Amino acid sequence: MRFPKRIGQTSNTGRKVRLATAAMLLVATTVTACGDSKDDGAKTSAPKAPATIPELTKDPLTLSFIWFDWPPAKVLEDFANAEYKKERPNATIKVNTVPNANWHDAMFTQFAARKTDFDIAILDSQHIGEAVTNGNILDLTDFVKSNIDVNAYNPYLLAAYGQFPQAETGKRDENASLYGLPLLGDTWTMIYRKDLIGDKPPQTWDQMISAAEKCQADNPGISGLAFHQANGSDAAAVTYNTVNGVYGGNLWDPKARKIDGVLNDAAGQEAMDVLVNKMKPLTAKGSGNWFIDEVNAAVAQGKACIAFNWIAASGGLLDPKQSTLGTTREQILDKLGFATLPSQKTDLVPLGGMGMHVSAYSASANQAEALNFMKWFEQADVQKKWAAAGGVPARTDALQSPEFLNAGPFNNVYADSVPRMRDMWNVPEYARLVDIENTNVNAALNGAKKPKDALDDIAKEQQGVLDSSNRKGGGGL
Amino acid sequence: MKDPAPLTTDHPGQVVSVTPPAPGRSRRLSDRWLAVTFISPAMLLLLAMSVFPLLWSLYLSFTDYSATRGGPAHFIGFGNYTAILTSAQVHTRALTTLLYVVGAVGLQTVLGFGIAYLISRRTHGRGVLTTLFLVPMMLSPVVVGLFWRFMLDAQFGVVNSMLGSVGLGQVEWLTRQRTALISLIVVDTWQWTPFIMLIALAGLSAVPKYLYEAASIDRASEWFRFRTITLPLVWPLLLIAVMFRAIEAFRLFDLVYILTNGGPGVSTETLSFHIYKVAFLGFNTGTASAYGILMVLVVIVLTQLYLRYLNKLKED
Repeated sequence: MRFPKRIGQTSNTGRKVRLATAAMLLVATTVTACGDSKDDGAKTSAPKAPATIPELTKDPLTLSFIWFDWPPAKVLEDFANAEYKKERPNATIKVNTVPNANWHDAMFTQFAARKTDFDIAILDSQHIGEAVTNGNILDLTDFVKSNIDVNAYNPYLLAAYGQFPQAETGKRDENASLYGLPLLGDTWTMIYRKDLIGDKPPQTWDQMISAAEKCQADNPGISGLAFHQANGSDAAAVTYNTVNGVYGGNLWDPKARKIDGVLNDAAGQEAMDVLVNKMKPLTAKGSGNWFIDEVNAAVAQGKACIAFNWIAASGGLLDPKQSTLGTTREQILDKLGFATLPSQKTDLVPLGGMGMHVSAYSASANQAEALNFMKWFEQADVQKKWAAAGGVPARTDALQSPEFLNAGPFNNVYADSVPRMRDMWNVPEYARLVDIENTNVNAALNGAKKPKDALDDIAKEQQGVLDSSNRKGGGGL
Repeated sequence: MKDPAPLTTDHPGQVVSVTPPAPGRSRRLSDRWLAVTFISPAMLLLLAMSVFPLLWSLYLSFTDYSATRGGPAHFIGFGNYTAILTSAQVHTRALTTLLYVVGAVGLQTVLGFGIAYLISRRTHGRGVLTTLFLVPMMLSPVVVGLFWRFMLDAQFGVVNSMLGSVGLGQVEWLTRQRTALISLIVVDTWQWTPFIMLIALAGLSAVPKYLYEAASIDRASEWFRFRTITLPLVWPLLLIAVMFRAIEAFRLFDLVYILTNGGPGVSTETLSFHIYKVAFLGFNTGTASAYGILMVLVVIVLTQLYLRYLNKLKED
C-alpha cells in the first residue's frame, strides 16, 4: 500500500533548489537595490552648469522648488507664476513646502537618493557646504560670470547665498566658486510696542533689557521679551549667536577650525549669561519651545513688549485679521514699531534668508529652465517687482528702491542691517553643529543645564565634530 | 457531455483502468508548487522590504558609509558598535528610554486592566464603552501629539487653563526636564491604555463563570476572587500585551518629535530619536545602522527572556 506523500516533506534536492532560488533572489534584490552604486565609488564634487543657458524646451514644464512652509513660499509661487509666465508661458512654478523642522531632511534625503522631485533647492546659506561637498548642486561660477551682474549686489550677500568655501564676514572671495544666487534676504528685526515703551527704540542691548524689564513690571500679563528658544531647526542657536555677536564674541576661528576656547571665551560667557540670566526671566512662562509662529502670536495678541523675529516672517503682524492690536493696519502700526537690533560691543545682526541652487539630479530640460529662471529673477526690474510683491531682494538697486522701502515698515530695517550681518558656519558639518548648539542653548534656557556648562559643552562637542573627520566608527554620536 | 470512463472491462483478466486526472491541471503543478506560487509574491515583498534592508543595514553597520557623502563604504570592523556602546550620549538616551518604557507601560497596564475589569462587570453598555475607550488608539500618533501639544501649552493650553480655574499655578509641561518626560508618558498612556484594556477584557471574558459561582457558594470575598481567580487567569494574556507595548514604547519616536523635539536640551531624547539625528542630521549611515541593529538585538534578547518566563508560567 502506498501512502500519500506528506505535505511539507521535501527531498534534499528540492530543498537545495529552493534554497538556491531564495539566495539568488536575495542577491538579485541586493544588486537591484544597489544598481546606482556606481556613483558611490567616485569622489563626488559639484558638477558645473554651462556658462550659457541651453536651448529651452517648448513643451509644458513644471519648475519645482523646495522650501519650508512659511509665508514667503506662497509669495514666491504666486509672484513667479504671475511674472515668469509672461516670459515663459509653457513653464509653471511649483513651490513644494515641508515643515521647517523637516526642511534639511527633505532635501538631503533626496540628494542621498541621487534623485530629486525638485529642480531648485532653496538652501539656507549654511547648507551650501554640505551640498557642494556631496556634489548635490550645480557649480554656477561660469554661468554667473556670463549672465549675472555681480557688481549689482552687496558682495557679502552674493557670497553668503552662493559661495563656498564661506566668505569672511562682509567680504567676498572673487576667486571662489559660486553655487547659488540670492532668493530672499532676511535678518532679525526688533519689534517693540510703541504704546508701551515709547516711539524711540532702545539703542543698546542693555537699554533694550531695561526697557523690557520696566514694561513687564508696568504691564501685568505682558512679558518683557519674546524670542526664539526652541530646540528644533536653528531657533535657540540663532538667538545665542545673535547675543554672542552683539557682545563681541566669535563662533569659531575658521582658519584654525577652532571652536573650543573661541566660542566659550569671556565674551561668549558674558553673552550666555545675558541671555539666560537677564533676558530669559523677561519671557513668558513656558516659552522655552517658542519659534517663529509662537513669537508672532505673542506679539499679535499683545502679550510681549519687545520681540525678535525674522523680517520675512513678520508680514502677518500687520494683518488685522491675525492681530488684537487694531482693526486696521494703521492702528496696528500705531502700536508696533520695527527697528534694527540694538548694538552693544558690536552692531552685528544675524544673516537669514536663502539662495536658489540647482539640483544636480534634475532633468537637463529642467536644469536649463532653472538657470533661465535665475537669470530672469536677478534682473533689476524683476527684483523690484519681487520687492513690491513682498519679497526681500538682494540687489543693491532693488534694496534702495521705493518699491522695496515702501512695501513694509520693516524693509528699512533690512536695508540698514545689510552691512551689519554675520552668518554661522558654512561647513559640511553644519547640521550637527547647529543641533549641538540648539539643544544646549535650549537646555540652558529651560534650566536643564547651567549656562556655563552649556556653553562649554557646545564648544567641546562642536570641536569634536570638526575634529572627528578621520575617526573610524561612531561618526555622528 | 462525455460519458463517464468505465471502471470495468468486457475482457476478463484485463487490469481495471483508473479514471485519468481532470483536464486543465498540469501534472507538474503539484500542491507544493501551487503553494509556492501563491506565497512567492508575499515572500518577494518580504525579501525586498524587510530581509534585504536588514541584511544591508547589518553590512553597513560595519562600515563608515554615509548616504549623502557617497564614496565607497570602508570596512571598520566593530568600530561603530564600540563607539555606540561606550558613548555617554547613548547611555543618557538609554536611561531616558528605560524611564519612559517603565513609566508608560506600567501606568498603561494598571489603568488598562482596571478599566477592563470595571467594564467586564457591567451588563449594560459594555460594547459602547469599549468602543469609546478604543478611539484614542485609532488616531495617528502625530495627530495625538499635535493636539496634546496645544493642550499642554503653558500659555494658551486648556490643561493650564483648567488648573488656573481651580487656583493652581501654570505648569511648564513641555519645557521643563521632569514635566516633559511625564507629559510624554501621560500622552502615550492616553493613547495606548485602550490596547491593554482590550486584551485584558478578552482575558476577563474568557474566565469560566463556574469558578466565580463556586467561589460565591464558598462565600469568598471580592478581593479573594480577584486574587485567586481573575488575576491568575488573565495574567499570561496581560503579560503578552505588556510585551507588545514595551516593544512599541522602546522604539518611541513620533510623540517625542512632535511634543518636545527631544527637549528641553536632550532630556526627552529617546534612542530612536537619537538614531534619527545620527542618520539624518549628520547622515552617518554606518553608525546609525549599527545603532539600529543594536536596538533590534536588545528587543530580541529581552523578548526571548520574557517569552521563556511566559512559557514557564504556562507550564506551572
